[in-house]
Amino acid sequence: MGRAYKMKGQKRKNKDEKYDREQSVEIGEPSKRVKTDGSDSEKAENLEIAVGDIPGIPIAPLDTGINKQRVIFVLEKASLEIAKVGKTYQLLSSDEHATFLAKNKRNPADYRPDIAFQAIQTILDSRVNKSGRLKALYVKTQQGLLLDIKPHARLPRTYKRFSGLMVQLLQNLHITATGNGEKLLRLVKNPVTQYLPTNSCKIGFSHSSEKLIDMHNYVGKINDGLDLVFVLGAMSHGKIDEDYVQDYISISEYPLSAAYAISIITNAVERKFRIL
Amino acid sequence: MAKSSSTGSAKKKKKSKGKINKKLSSLNSDSKKIKGPKENPFESIWSRRKFNILGKKRKDDERRRIGLSRSLAIQKRQKTLLKEYEHSTKSSTFVDKRIGEQNEGLEEFDKAILRSQRERQLKLKKKSKFNLSDGEEDDFEIQGGGYFPERDDFEDDEPFCGDDYDDELPDGRNKRQFNPHDAEGDQDSRSAEEQNRPKTKKEVMEDIIFKSKFFKAQKAKEKEESEQFTEQLDKDFASLVQSEALLSLTQPNKMSALSSLVNDKNSNDAAKKEEAPRMHTKVSIQHEKPDHYDKLVGEMALDMRARPSDRTKAPEELAQEGKERLEQLEEERRKRMAAGDGDDSSNEDAYNSEDDVGEVSKQISHISGDDLGDSFSDVIPKTKAVWIDDLLTKNSVTDPEAEDAPTSGEEEDDNEEDDDADEDEEGEGSEESSDEDEKAQTLNDWEQSDEEQIDLEDEEEDDDSDDATGKKVFMGHQKKILVTKGNQNNDSGAFRVKPIVKEDVHKKGELPYTIEAPNCFEEFSSLLENYSDDQVVEAIRRIRTYNAIAVAAENRKKMQVFYGVLLQYFAVLASTKPLNFKLLNMLVKPLMEMSTETPYFAAICARQRLLRTRTLFCQDISNTGKNCWPSLKTLFLMRLWSMIFPCSDFRHAVMTPAILLMSEYLMRCPITSGRDIAIGSFLCSMVLSVSRQSQKFCPEAITFLQTILMAALTNRQRYESSQLCHLMELKALRPLLHMQGRVEDINCLDFLTLMDLPDDSPYFTSDNFRASILCAIIRCLKGFVDISEGFKSFPEIFLPIAKILDGLAEEDLIPDALKVEIKDVAQLIKIKSEEFQSLRLPLRIRKQKVIKTAIPKFEDNFVNGRDYDPDRERVERKKLKKKLQQEARGAVRELRKDNHFLFEVKERDKARMQEEKTEMYGKYRAFLQEQEHAFKSGQLGKNKKRRR
Repeated sequence: MGRAYKMKGQKRKNKDEKYDREQSVEIGEPSKRVKTDGSDSEKAENLEIAVGDIPGIPIAPLDTGINKQRVIFVLEKASLEIAKVGKTYQLLSSDEHATFLAKNKRNPADYRPDIAFQAIQTILDSRVNKSGRLKALYVKTQQGLLLDIKPHARLPRTYKRFSGLMVQLLQNLHITATGNGEKLLRLVKNPVTQYLPTNSCKIGFSHSSEKLIDMHNYVGKINDGLDLVFVLGAMSHGKIDEDYVQDYISISEYPLSAAYAISIITNAVERKFRIL
Repeated sequence: MAKSSSTGSAKKKKKSKGKINKKLSSLNSDSKKIKGPKENPFESIWSRRKFNILGKKRKDDERRRIGLSRSLAIQKRQKTLLKEYEHSTKSSTFVDKRIGEQNEGLEEFDKAILRSQRERQLKLKKKSKFNLSDGEEDDFEIQGGGYFPERDDFEDDEPFCGDDYDDELPDGRNKRQFNPHDAEGDQDSRSAEEQNRPKTKKEVMEDIIFKSKFFKAQKAKEKEESEQFTEQLDKDFASLVQSEALLSLTQPNKMSALSSLVNDKNSNDAAKKEEAPRMHTKVSIQHEKPDHYDKLVGEMALDMRARPSDRTKAPEELAQEGKERLEQLEEERRKRMAAGDGDDSSNEDAYNSEDDVGEVSKQISHISGDDLGDSFSDVIPKTKAVWIDDLLTKNSVTDPEAEDAPTSGEEEDDNEEDDDADEDEEGEGSEESSDEDEKAQTLNDWEQSDEEQIDLEDEEEDDDSDDATGKKVFMGHQKKILVTKGNQNNDSGAFRVKPIVKEDVHKKGELPYTIEAPNCFEEFSSLLENYSDDQVVEAIRRIRTYNAIAVAAENRKKMQVFYGVLLQYFAVLASTKPLNFKLLNMLVKPLMEMSTETPYFAAICARQRLLRTRTLFCQDISNTGKNCWPSLKTLFLMRLWSMIFPCSDFRHAVMTPAILLMSEYLMRCPITSGRDIAIGSFLCSMVLSVSRQSQKFCPEAITFLQTILMAALTNRQRYESSQLCHLMELKALRPLLHMQGRVEDINCLDFLTLMDLPDDSPYFTSDNFRASILCAIIRCLKGFVDISEGFKSFPEIFLPIAKILDGLAEEDLIPDALKVEIKDVAQLIKIKSEEFQSLRLPLRIRKQKVIKTAIPKFEDNFVNGRDYDPDRERVERKKLKKKLQQEARGAVRELRKDNHFLFEVKERDKARMQEEKTEMYGKYRAFLQEQEHAFKSGQLGKNKKRRR
C-alpha cells in the first residue's frame, strides 16, 4: 500500500512537470497535440490538479481553452528585408532608403515593412490573443524566409524599435526573451504547412476573390472542431496565391489594409468565441 | 631538418591565410604533373550565401571553394599522413640529412655552395683548433702559415688583445693606443684630460680682468636705463596731472599738494608759469560745484546703523509675560483696595471695563493662533443663551405643569450629584494615576501632537459648518431638529439685546487677577459663586494664564487637576435646572484649549466618564421599566468630546468607545415615548456628524431611523415590513408617530425644550410634534444617504428604507411639504442604488486571465558577432569557450578525415593485395591446368610453352 501511495505522489509531481514542458513544447510543435487525442483529457486533469492546490476553495471545472478552437495567422509576402546601408544593417523601408534602393535598382514601393508591423501589432493586440486563443503567428517574407512569432511576445510598439528587432532577428535568426532564454521569435524552415494542424480550416483573404462574404457569418458556420488558419498578404501590391489555402474569400467590397482586415477577422472570431 | 620544418609551417600559414590562387596555381602545376591537364569540375564551384543581404560585401574568408579545399586537404594528407603510415611498419628509416637537400627551391649548384660554406664555418670555430687533423686538412693549414720552427707555442698567446689589432701590433706606433685599457674610449678620455689640466697664472688673471670689466659695463648700463625710465615716468605723470580726468577724480584739497608736487618735478621745465593759473581756475571750479559723492558720504555718516529686530517670542516667554502682567495688575488692585475704599468706583469701573476690554482685545490678539475663528466667546453666544433663558422662563411661566419639571429635575440632580461625587473621587483617583501617567506621557508625545493638530482642524471644521448654519457653536446639530431655524433667529435677535445690557451692568463683582488653580470642585464652585457668566470665563482664563504650563513644569499637574474640576463643573452645569446654556457654551472654549494642552489626561478623563456612563446604562437597562435614554449631561459631554477629539481616526481612545456607546443607546434603549424619539434622533444626528468625518458605517443609527419611520406607518404596512428590523430589541413599537390629524405647518423643535418636557407631556402625542420629528428624521436620513454613497452594499442598506418611505408618502395625513421631502429622499436612494446595481457584474468563476507576455531582448544598432553582455569578463570567457569548442570540433573533424583517408589507403592496399593474390592464384591455376592438360593429353615435357 505504501508503495502505491508513494507512486501516486511521484506520478502526480512528474505529471505536473511534464505538463509544463509539454505546454512549452506544444507551442513550438502544434502537430504533436493532434496526434495524441487520448492525452488531451489527461492534460485537463493535470491542469485541474495544479489549480486545485489552494485549500478550501471548491474548484469548478475550469475552462482552460485547451480543447477549444484556436486561431493561427499567416502573413504572406511581408517585405522584411535588411541591408547594409553605410556601415549599419537596417530594415529597408521605402521612405528611409529610397536612394539606396534606387542605387541597387530596386523598386522602393515594394519595401513596406510598416504594413507587416501594423498587421503583427493588430494580431497581437487582439482579444483573441489576450485570451490565449491565438496559437501561432507566421510571417513569410518576400525573400521566402519564414518567421515564427510566439503569441505571447510583446513586440515593440514603435516602428523604430520594431525595425531594430527585425534587423537582429534576420541576422541572429532568433530573438530570446529577457530573463529566460525562451526564443520568442525565430526563423523556421519552410514550408509553413508543416506547422499547421491537420484538422484546420485554411482561409485565404484576397480582394480579388469573387467570394464576397460577411466575415461574421462565415466564421460562425465553420465547424467548431477545426482550428482556424487565416492567410493574409502583408504587401502593398499584388495578391497571394498559396497552394495550401483551401478557400479564398473577400470580406469587403473595398480593398482594405492588412491591419484593418485583421481587425475585422479578429472581431468576428471574438464574437464567435464570445470573448469580451 | 629545422629549416625544413620552418618552411613547412610557413606553408601552412599561407594556406590558412587563404591565398588560394597561389595555391591553385601550384596545385595545377602539381596536378599537371600528376594527372595531366584534366581538372576536377567540383573544384571550380564557389560557396554561396544562405541569405543574401543587399549592400553587404563578401569577404575573402566568406568565399570558399569547398571542392578545392577538399582536394587540397587530400594532397596534404598524402604528403604527411601517408608517409607516416608507410613508415609505421618499418623498423628504421633512411634520413637524408644533407644540407639543402630538403629545400626544394634550390638548384644542385646552390646546394653545393651551401655545403662548402658550412664546412668553412665549422673550420673557423675555435673549438676546431684542437681537433686533430687528418692528413688533408693539415696540408691546407700549413699552406697558409708555413713551418716556422723558431715560433713557440706561447707566442700564439701573445695577441690576446683581439684579432683586430693583430696586424698593427708589431708597429707599436702609438703608446697610448697600445694601452689596452685606453683601447675602448680613447676619444673621451682625451677631451677630459684637456679640461682637467690646471690653468696657467696668466690665463687666470686674464679671466678675472675680463669678468670685472664685464660686470662694470653691465652696471653702468643698468643705471643709465633706470634713469631714463624714471625720467620717462615723471614726464608721463606730469601730462596725466594736467589732463582733466585725474582732476575730476582726485579731491580738490589734495589737488594743490599734487600740483605743487608736479611743479617741483617740473621745476626744470619752463612751463611752470603757465601751469599755475590754470590749476587755480580748476580748483575754484571744483569748489563751486557741490560734490554729489561727498554729500552722500555725509549723509551716510548721519544714518542710523541697522539694528537686529526683536525676535518673535517663544510661547513660554509669552506665557511668562502674561503671568507677570497679571501679577502686576493684582498688585495694583491690592493697592487700590488698600488706598481708596471704592471712592471712585465709577472710575475704577471704567478703568476695569477699559482694562477688561483691553484684556479681551489683548486676549483675542494674543491667542489669535489658537482662536477658533469663531466668536463664541463674545456677542452671539451671549444673545443666544439669553434667548434660550428667555424661552425657558417663558415656558416656566406659561406652562402650568412646569412645577413637575423641577421635581424630576431635582431627582436627576440628586442622582447626578451623587454621580459627581463619585466622579470627584474618580477624578482624584485618575489624577493620582495621572501622576504616574505623566511619565508615560512623555512617551506619548507623538500622540499629543497628533491630537492637537487634528483637534485644531476639527474645531475649525466644526466651526465653519456651524457658522454656515447660524453661528451656534455648541448645539450645532440641534439645528437638524430645529427646522426653519434661521428665520426665528433673526426675529428673536431684536428683542435679545436689552437683557444683556442689564445683566452686564448689575452683575459686576470684583475678580482677583491672580488665582491659584483650585484643587477640588468645592473650591472652584465657591470661587465662582457670585460671579456672572462672563466673569466665570474670565476667571478661568486668568487661572489658566497664571498657572500656564509653559511657565513652570509643576503647573502641568495643577492644570490637570483643574481640567478635571472644570470638566466636572461643565457636567454639573449641564445637569442643573434651569440650564445655563450660555455659560456651557462659553466653557467649551477653555475646555478644548486645555485638552490640547494636556491631551493624555483629557483622554483619560473622558474614558473614565464613558466607562462610568456605560456601567450605569447597563444597570439601568437591566431593571426594566426605567428610562435608560441618556441624560442631557451625557449628551452634552458626548458632543463636547466629539469636538475635542478627532472623529476621523480609525481608532481613537475616546471617540471609538463614545461612538460605540451612542450606538448602544440607539440599539438597546426601548422607544416608549416621543421624548425618546427626540433623544434618539439627536443621537442619530450626532452619529452622523461623527461618521461624516470618519466615513464609518453605523448600522445602529440607520436601523433606528428605519424603526422610527416604521412607527409612522399604519399597522398594515408595518406588518409587511416588520421582518426587516429583527435586529432591534424593540419588541412592539406602537405607532408613535402615526399621524392622526392633518397638520399644515411643520415647526422646528428646540431640543432643550423637549428635554425639559416630561415624558408624558401631551405635546409628544400631538400631530405637530410628530410631523416635526418626522421631518427632522428624514433630513438626518438624507445625511446618512449622502455619507454612505461609497459603500458597495448601499442598495441593501437603504432600499428597505426607501420602501418604507414610499409607504409613508402614500399616507394621506402627512403634510405636503413633508411628503415632498420623503419622496426626494426615496428618489435619491433609488437612483443611487440603481447606480450601484448597474456597476455590479454577474458572478464568474474566475477573472479572465490575460496571457503572460514576454519582452524580446534586442539591441539597437545590432552588429552581428558582437556580444552585448555588459559583463566583459563573461564575454571574454564565452569567447574563449567558443574558440575552444571550435578548435575541438575542428580537431575532431580533422581526425575523422584522417581516419577516412587512412581507411581508404588501407582499402586500396587490401584491394591491390587481393588483386595480386587472385592474379597469382590464376597464374598458378593456369599453370596447373596446363600441366594437367598436358599430362592428360600425353605431351608432358614436349611443349616448351610453359617456359614462356
